[in-house]
Amino acid sequence: MLNHRVRDNANTLTLLMPWIIVLAVFWLYPLFYAIYISLTDYKTLTNTATFVGLANYENLFGDSVFWVALQNTAIFTLGTVPVTTAIALILASILNNKLIRFKEFFRASYFLPTVTSLVVISLIFTNLYARDGYINNILSMFGMPFPERGWLLDTSTALLSIMAMDVWISIGYYMILFLAGMQTISEDLYDSAKLNGASPVQQFFYITLPLIKPTLLFVLVINTIKSFQVFIEIFVMTKGGPLDSTTTLVYLVFVNAFEKTDMMGYASAIAFVLFFILLVFSYLQIKFLKVRD
Amino acid sequence: MNSYPIRKILLYGLLFLIAIGMIFPIFWMLLLSLKEYPEKYQTFQELLFSNFTLKNFVDALQSDSFDIYFLNSLFVATLVTAGNLLFCTLVAYAFARKEFIGKTVLFATLLGVMIIPPHVIMIPLYRMMVGYGWINSYYSLVLPWLVTPFGIFLMRQYIMTIPREIEDAARIDGAGFWYIIFRIIMPLSKPMLTVLAIYTFLSNWNSFLFPYLFTNTEKFRTLPVGLAFYLGKQSIDWGHLMAGAAISAFPIIVIFIIFQRQIIKGLTSGALKE
Repeated sequence: MLNHRVRDNANTLTLLMPWIIVLAVFWLYPLFYAIYISLTDYKTLTNTATFVGLANYENLFGDSVFWVALQNTAIFTLGTVPVTTAIALILASILNNKLIRFKEFFRASYFLPTVTSLVVISLIFTNLYARDGYINNILSMFGMPFPERGWLLDTSTALLSIMAMDVWISIGYYMILFLAGMQTISEDLYDSAKLNGASPVQQFFYITLPLIKPTLLFVLVINTIKSFQVFIEIFVMTKGGPLDSTTTLVYLVFVNAFEKTDMMGYASAIAFVLFFILLVFSYLQIKFLKVRD
Repeated sequence: MNSYPIRKILLYGLLFLIAIGMIFPIFWMLLLSLKEYPEKYQTFQELLFSNFTLKNFVDALQSDSFDIYFLNSLFVATLVTAGNLLFCTLVAYAFARKEFIGKTVLFATLLGVMIIPPHVIMIPLYRMMVGYGWINSYYSLVLPWLVTPFGIFLMRQYIMTIPREIEDAARIDGAGFWYIIFRIIMPLSKPMLTVLAIYTFLSNWNSFLFPYLFTNTEKFRTLPVGLAFYLGKQSIDWGHLMAGAAISAFPIIVIFIIFQRQIIKGLTSGALKE
C-alpha cells in the first residue's frame, strides 16, 4: 500500500513536470529578470548591466513622450471601451430575442473580425484609410471633407481611425460574451413582461440590464485591460506616428527595448508601470469573476 | 413585433447593414488580392469589373516567400496545439484529481501568471533566446507555449465535471494510473479538447509579437511576421500583400465556418485574445 502511494506520488509529479518547467523557465524567471533589468542601465553592445536602483522609474516622470503615450493609451481606452460595450450590448439583446431570424448568420458575421489576425486586419485598414484609399474615394464622391494625406498620416485623425477600427474588431466578441450571459436569464421574465405590455426598450432596461450586470462589469474590465495593451495595430499601421500621436505605452516599451540602443532598462520600467496599472484592473476582474461564479 | 412592419424592416435593415460592414474589409482584401496592380484603378466600379487573376497568389507563394511563412505557421501552430492537448490534460488531471504538497500555491501561481502581460516578459524572454542561441530557431517559437496556464485551467474545470465513479470502477477492474488518463479521461474530455485545440491553433496561427521578436530571417518567419515585413518595403504592391493576407486569413475563416460553436466556447471561457 505504501509502495503504491509512493508510485502514485511519483506519477503525479511526472504529470506536473511539464508545467513546473515551463512555469519556472518561461514565466517566473523572466518576470524576476524583468524586474532586475528595470533596475539597471543595460548596455546592449557590451552586454553589461549596471545597477542604478529606481533611476529608470524616476526618469519616466520627466519624459514627455511617456506622458504622451500614457495620454494616448487613456484616450484609446476611454474612447473605445464604452462605445464597444454599448454597441455589443444592444446587438446582443436584439439577437437574444427568439423571434429574430437569420440569427446564426448575424452572429457569425459579427464575430468574423475576432478570429481574423490583427496583422491582416491592420493591413486591410491601412489600405482603406490611405490617401487615395476607398474611404477617401467615397467621401470625395459625396463632396465631403477628408484628410488629404490619408487618415493615418494626419495627427488629428490617426488615433481616432485606429480606435474606430478597434471598435469594429471587438464588437462581435463582447456581443458573444453578453449573449452567453443572457442565456441565463429566464424566458418567463420576458413573457410576463410582454403580457403586462412592456415594450422591448422597457424589457431591456428593467430585465436584461439589471440581470446582465455581472457580465457587463466583467466585459468592461477585460476590455479595459486589453485596450491598455494595444500594440499590433499601432506597430503595423502607424509606428506611433505621425509625431507620436499614436504612440501607446506598449508601443513605447517596444521601441525602447528593440529599436533604440541601451534603453532596455528604461523599457522594462515602463512595462512595469503599465503592469501596475493593469494589476488594479486584474484585481477587479478576479473579484467580478467570483461574483459571477 | 409583428404589428410593426416598418419597425421590423428597419431592424433587419440595420442588422444586415452591420453584417455587411463586418464582412466588407475581408471582401475588400479578397477583391484586391484577385486583381493585378489594384492601386491603378480609380473607382470601385473599375476595380470590381476588371479581370480577375490568381497571379498575385502565385507570385506571393513563389517569389515573396509566403510559401515558407505558411509552412512555418502551420508547423509551429500544429506542434504547439499537439503539446497543449497532451500536457495541459496531464497537468489539469493532477490539479483536478490528485492531492500533493504545494497544490494550493501551485494553482494560485497558475492563475497569477495569467495576468502577466506579454510586454513585461518580452524583454527578458528575448534576452534569454539570444543567450540560448534560439533566435531563428523553432525552439523559441514552440517550447515556451507547449503548455499554457489557460489550457490547464480550461481542462481542469472540465475534468472536475467528470464523475469520479468512472475512474473508481476502472481502478477496481485493474486499470493503472496511465491507463485511466489516456484511455478514460482523454476520451471523455474530447469536447473540451476540441475547444482547446481550435483555440490554441487559432491564437498561435495569428500570433505576432513573439514570432516577430524571435526571428530575423525569412526562413523562420510566420505569416503575420512576413506580412508586417512586407508592408515595411519601399513600394507596396497591394495585390501581392492582400494575397499574402488572404493566405493567412483563409484557413482561419474555413476553421471558423466549420467549428464556430467550439471557437465561441473557447473564446468565451478564455476571455483572452492576442
